[in-house]
Amino acid sequence: APAVKMAALSGSGAPWRRGWLPALQLIRRGSKAVTRHWKAMHFQRQKLMAVTEYLAPWPAIPPSCLAPRKEAAEEDNGYVRLLRRQVEEVFRDNRMIAVCQYNSMPDEDVVLMRYYLRKHNIEVKFVLNEIVRPVLSQSKYKNLLPLFVARNILLVSPETKAKEMLRVLKGVPQVNLLGACIDDTILSRQGVENFAKLPSLEASQGQMVGALALLPSQTSSLLQRGSMHLTALLDQHIRQLQAGETGSPAEPTPAQSSGAH
Amino acid sequence: RPRSESSLCSPGPGGVAVPRAGLKKYVLPPDYSGITFPEKTKLKFMDKVPAVPKVRREPRQLRDIRGPSREATDFIQGQYGILALGGGYLHWGHFEMIRLTIGRSMDPKSMFAIWRVPAPYKPVTRKSLGHRMGGGKGPIDHYVTAVKSGRLVVEVGGHCEFGEVKPFLTQVARKLPFPAIPISRDGLQQMRQEEEEKRLNNQNPWTFERIVTANMLGMRKYVSPYDLHLKGRYWGKFFLKHRV
Repeated sequence: APAVKMAALSGSGAPWRRGWLPALQLIRRGSKAVTRHWKAMHFQRQKLMAVTEYLAPWPAIPPSCLAPRKEAAEEDNGYVRLLRRQVEEVFRDNRMIAVCQYNSMPDEDVVLMRYYLRKHNIEVKFVLNEIVRPVLSQSKYKNLLPLFVARNILLVSPETKAKEMLRVLKGVPQVNLLGACIDDTILSRQGVENFAKLPSLEASQGQMVGALALLPSQTSSLLQRGSMHLTALLDQHIRQLQAGETGSPAEPTPAQSSGAH
Repeated sequence: RPRSESSLCSPGPGGVAVPRAGLKKYVLPPDYSGITFPEKTKLKFMDKVPAVPKVRREPRQLRDIRGPSREATDFIQGQYGILALGGGYLHWGHFEMIRLTIGRSMDPKSMFAIWRVPAPYKPVTRKSLGHRMGGGKGPIDHYVTAVKSGRLVVEVGGHCEFGEVKPFLTQVARKLPFPAIPISRDGLQQMRQEEEEKRLNNQNPWTFERIVTANMLGMRKYVSPYDLHLKGRYWGKFFLKHRV
């Protein structure tokens, strides 16, 4: 091979006459394969690189036409489960649950309000909407869902003391009553006020019993009315006869009238 | 991270929805259980000249720069590292720069770093300045290490996150003579997966590999025999990342 190269170099005539190997001759020309600079590619090679470029796949339906995929939030957070359980217990154990809008108050006012409500056995609970909403949507309290929007608190109590609660809340302008669920009955703000105006349960029960017992109490007097009337008439008649007859014995006529009963 | 609830309480006419914070989701701290620290956490000092300096001057052999790397392509001990995306030679100045920058930026108690390249072993000759061509090969000037694309240069690990390590690794990577990026184990795996996916879902029926192996249109005249296994992704010392 070196002999052939020397022959090709020294020959001034046509190189193909003396065994000219193009592979070896082409190596002498230009730079080596690996260079520090970007070596210029042969045009054919450039065309080859252009033809064999990567073409990305495109979906049949453009993604902007499809609805966006909503990834469901994972609920394996134990803290979330605990809070949900607490909310369920609250709804189960308490008779009165009032939902109020809560605007930011000074902390001492919050403490005072909680104290006054505690005196009437009403507890104040701060809840997060993102926990309460799923719990409510799956229970029977679906209609309370529109209330749980924006910042709110729950006033819960095992007894139904709406009057005292309203009195306390009247003194606190930052907490506004939105609605309540008393004894599984959903009431609006107006409904709660009407409920508060009602007499207490014992008094209304007594009234109801009195109203129901009114008619039966009159039954015995109704039944005895006829005979009592007759007795009264006969007594009057006797008195008239006694007043008319002064010396005659009045025994047989009272005996006859008493035997007639 | 607080979540705003403006989607629930959409404002009515003339109102503004104030975003509120929702429940805070606590993130568990990372688990560093399976990490073993080497004896010396800092990078070892690399010699300029090997212990037994070479007597015989070696030919240039630029093929140790060309093509993909066959060694040190995967992580050994550390979790993060610098990946070379091109071929090149690292000399003692680069080694010192890497050693000092990483040594300065990392905490030796909670992090460690290891070399994935050997000390300079390849002699490079230089002729003295201002002489004409000829007169034989020049004397050995310095030693270098050859690095091919796809090789890890350093590995960093320990009780640290990628975000902590990335700034100084990018700083080092920018100063290297070849393109390099900081990368983690997951990042490397993802990169390989993406390359594989690209290769599989390429819509172009004509690939470099197919045309050259079948010698379509006589392309082998204009293409090196090395391109049969380099497959158009490598050109000289450069690695063409965008090609399939």
